[in-house]
Amino acid sequence: MPIITVNGKSVHIQELNKEAAETIVLVHGMFSNLSVYYFNIAPLLATKYHVVLYDLKSHGMSEKALEGYDLESMTNDLFALMEVLNLQKVHLGGYSFGGLIALKMAIRFPESINKLAIIEAPDPNDDKTRGIIDEYSREFLEHYVENFTDTTKVKMGKRQMERNHRMYEYLFYQTSIKTDMELEKDFFGSPAIETIKQSTLLLYGTDSNCLNAGKHLDGMIKNASLIAVPGDHNIPIQQPLVIAEALLNFFQEI
Amino acid sequence: MDTITTKLSSEEIFNLMKQFITEVIGEEFVEEMDITPESSFTKDLEMDSIEIVSFSEKIKAHFGEQIDFTGWLSSMDLDQLINLNLGMIISYIEECQS
Repeated sequence: MPIITVNGKSVHIQELNKEAAETIVLVHGMFSNLSVYYFNIAPLLATKYHVVLYDLKSHGMSEKALEGYDLESMTNDLFALMEVLNLQKVHLGGYSFGGLIALKMAIRFPESINKLAIIEAPDPNDDKTRGIIDEYSREFLEHYVENFTDTTKVKMGKRQMERNHRMYEYLFYQTSIKTDMELEKDFFGSPAIETIKQSTLLLYGTDSNCLNAGKHLDGMIKNASLIAVPGDHNIPIQQPLVIAEALLNFFQEI
Repeated sequence: MDTITTKLSSEEIFNLMKQFITEVIGEEFVEEMDITPESSFTKDLEMDSIEIVSFSEKIKAHFGEQIDFTGWLSSMDLDQLINLNLGMIISYIEECQS
């Protein structure tokens, strides 16, 4: 497993096609990991680009951390990761919470970001997004898995349920993630979003609860285009090739 | 990278896969399972996607350039990935060796 040290913490990364001239960095979502890109999306992008995937802190196989889940800290981590990998300027893509990190990167480090692709980034002020963080319990996880993950077709067995439960318990009750997220609730209302100058692709599911967030960003970011893909919030899992091709076309456009 | 060049039999590949699975999910879970070539990764072995990433990395590290395991997986859709079993991987590795 490729593990590098970033800001004193171990970070699991995966790199494809290191020889390519341009780099795409992809950021996964909360309670997920880099595998959301690893099997379908990254290999297609790697036919033309150097692709870098990494697990966020306390996710996947990266080291746990008690603090630093606000967008400032998460973008400090990503910027430091780019420095360790000697990446001066990259195309950046992010899914869900990773999309918020990507937006914040474009705001804070515009000179380091070429094109920007945002997949299903939610409005942090949305009740449903914050509700998940406020109301977590074992019963919630079981109910959630039973009722809301069926669109990805993957059912969790006992061992996986335990693994996920331990991760949720850790993130919700031992780390600062809840308070850090609370601080970000006005992010979409912030004038800083309007300062984003990069060419930006917004990919949202036609049946997603987050589609309005995509429309909101489309109205705020001057150089943005919104594409609605059949599916819900899980479009990278439901339609990996559609997402991969949309990303590849977007990054290749001159 | 400890790449190999000798051709493995299907039983040797199966044992190697079992060793990788044990390294990824831990001996205590493997002891409770009856791993066979029909065992599917998600349903029977209950491996999640990040564990399958670890497993893939082990195959890549072992066989090196000899096989394009990630490329092979990337040609599969979600249903195929969910139904992926050990026998399919053994056949794929055997094909690459021939």
